[in-house]
Amino acid sequence: MTETFAQLPEELKLATSAHVKYIQSLDTRKDEYDYWLTEHLRLNGLYWGLTALHLLGHPEALPRAETIDFVLSCQHENGGFGAAPGHDAHMLSTVSAVQILATVDAFDELEARGKGKAQVGKYIAGLQNRQTGTFAGDEWGEEDTRFLYGAFNALSLLGLLHLVDVDKAVDHVAACANFDGGYGVSPGAESHSGQIFTCVAALTIAGRQDLIDKERLGRWLSERQVAAGGLNGRPEKKEDVCYSWWVLSSLEMIGKTHWIDRDKLISFILSSQDTEKGGISDRPGDMVDVWHTVFGVAGLSLLNYPGLEPVDEVYCMPKSTTARILGR
Amino acid sequence: MAEQGASHGIARTSRVRSEEQRQKDLERIDKYRELEDQVRQHAAEGGFSRELFALTSKLLRLNPEYYTVWNVRRRCLISGLFSKQSHGSSCSKESWNTSRCATTTTSSVESSSCSSTEIQPSPASPTAGKSGTTADEGDKEAAAKQDVELIKSELLFTIPLLLESPKCYWIWSYRLWVLNQAIERLQAPAARRIWEEELGLASKMLSKDRRNFHAWGYRRHVVARLESSDLGGGSMVEAEFEYTERMFRTDLSNFSALHNRSQLIPRLLDERGATAAQRKAFLDKELNMIRDALNVGPEDQSLWYYHRFLVLNLVTTVGRPTITPAFTREDRVSYLTREIEEVKDLLEDYEDIKLIYEALVDYTLYLCQLEERKPIGEEREDLVTWVKKLEELDPMRNGRWADLERDQELTELLPGGQ
Repeated sequence: MTETFAQLPEELKLATSAHVKYIQSLDTRKDEYDYWLTEHLRLNGLYWGLTALHLLGHPEALPRAETIDFVLSCQHENGGFGAAPGHDAHMLSTVSAVQILATVDAFDELEARGKGKAQVGKYIAGLQNRQTGTFAGDEWGEEDTRFLYGAFNALSLLGLLHLVDVDKAVDHVAACANFDGGYGVSPGAESHSGQIFTCVAALTIAGRQDLIDKERLGRWLSERQVAAGGLNGRPEKKEDVCYSWWVLSSLEMIGKTHWIDRDKLISFILSSQDTEKGGISDRPGDMVDVWHTVFGVAGLSLLNYPGLEPVDEVYCMPKSTTARILGR
Repeated sequence: MAEQGASHGIARTSRVRSEEQRQKDLERIDKYRELEDQVRQHAAEGGFSRELFALTSKLLRLNPEYYTVWNVRRRCLISGLFSKQSHGSSCSKESWNTSRCATTTTSSVESSSCSSTEIQPSPASPTAGKSGTTADEGDKEAAAKQDVELIKSELLFTIPLLLESPKCYWIWSYRLWVLNQAIERLQAPAARRIWEEELGLASKMLSKDRRNFHAWGYRRHVVARLESSDLGGGSMVEAEFEYTERMFRTDLSNFSALHNRSQLIPRLLDERGATAAQRKAFLDKELNMIRDALNVGPEDQSLWYYHRFLVLNLVTTVGRPTITPAFTREDRVSYLTREIEEVKDLLEDYEDIKLIYEALVDYTLYLCQLEERKPIGEEREDLVTWVKKLEELDPMRNGRWADLERDQELTELLPGGQ
């Protein structure tokens, strides 16, 4: 593969240093209106940027101490994290916080200066609906398989999965399965690639892949690749770089990435880069953002693109991190 | 997992701003941050007042993704604006009116940490008291009227925001929370009148984007609530089934509608008390409908997924409710054989559509599975030809076709095979 890529034109090579600079610049854009409009995603954004940097082989590009300080400044008394100081605690930002602290190996700081692992675990476990097994995003009750996966992801990293009713949660995921092999937001909802990732990853963390109809799911997922090489999220929708992660990681978990054209997908992701100013967009020629950047890079890592750190397909974190914490 | 922060479909432009544009941005930022500061300050002081409520309206119009501000708005409603006589769950009543939230806060960080892990997420607790009021009848009536007005105006507030940001999770979930307040705070008939309006909104959103999965999910949720005993409802399965047909007829490629249809069918047939003959007639009608569509659009995945759903009804008889449980194995074989022939007929008009070959391969293998045998004779030759055609028409998925050949032992007849 390395040889093939050496002959490619510039736009089809990964613009690593441009991407690193782009991610580093994200927190300096305080004179842009969008910077303020997206504060509710700050902690998620930090996780996306940090993960991309680690996969790009530049873990040092964001200062570790400041990263930890910021994460801890988002924590509430109840253990949960908000998106930024002053924002309410939510499952999504709490999961990002745990992933960031795991990646920079700072659970000890959470114990020493934060509210401690146990309190985080208690917050997450408190969001499980004990009747149905699924999880809410926060105290206001919105339920979605995204939150269930988030809970499994963070709790397993913290070694606290026993705080929740795993079997009930697994039953709930199984109830979200559709005839096409995919999974939706909740029982009865249409199959959707993002939701499939959350359900398949949750079942993988629970050690219950036996419940997945791999043949049927693999077919559905492989049909997500369109002529341009990119992947879409549902039948008859447009391709989008972020599905390079949701679809591909799901295929990886069920051992079927060879059911799509990997080289074409690599070209699609690479042609969605801004090679000059850095960052990756949803499709070639569109505005870049850190969300598409991390999922593009993570997709390339799963596709064994040369020079990238391996990514864990279940956690969307560097494999070295999940190996250290979970022995995966 | 939080797609709202991403740019979708916005063209990449030069990122250089003129000084004038930059100044304009700075002014906007100042205004936005000033508003944000006001909201935080008021919330930190603990008074969930009308003034704060009005500030959240302003801020949410600028940024409907700001979930914390939606939460502040909820707290304003619960701890001040809704009538005190209401019942409510433990979350809405005890916690917010006592020390934990409204009054203890000194900083903005703490102000938002008032949630407790003990509080279960509260989908409107259907049994939470409809009684226990202390006010006399007149006051009660006035209070109920006030709550109805408030709920209606909240629902109205979110509509322009939804139209502008139809995929914003926070707006949808806020709207549902408001609707749940109606169930908690009002008598069933009044709550029902409010919920009934929601189908119109779901339809409106789906007419703007037929595949919006938020709107489809919302629709299913609203229907389920309207059908529930909380709102004194009955089954709406016939009307919803009809709705999926209308949506399908408008746009044959609408898989979201077909998916919903597939979900409704088992209940529909049960509730109709359909006899074996009626179920068979139903299956015939569905197969005809989808075959007609395939005749004009055989390259459309949505149609094939639905066709496959119907065909699977003939094959898998365990685990899932089926359309025709009384079918004998002979019935199933004869239906499946007929479908295979129908799909073969498509080849006369369309030679190079891979979905046709894929269906032929799969359905033929289903037939073998049903008859508990391996592919034989001409059938096996057909399979080999079709798989070859798949490799030729769809090389992107060659790994899949190779696995298929290996698993079904179809390789040795191919050129270069054994």
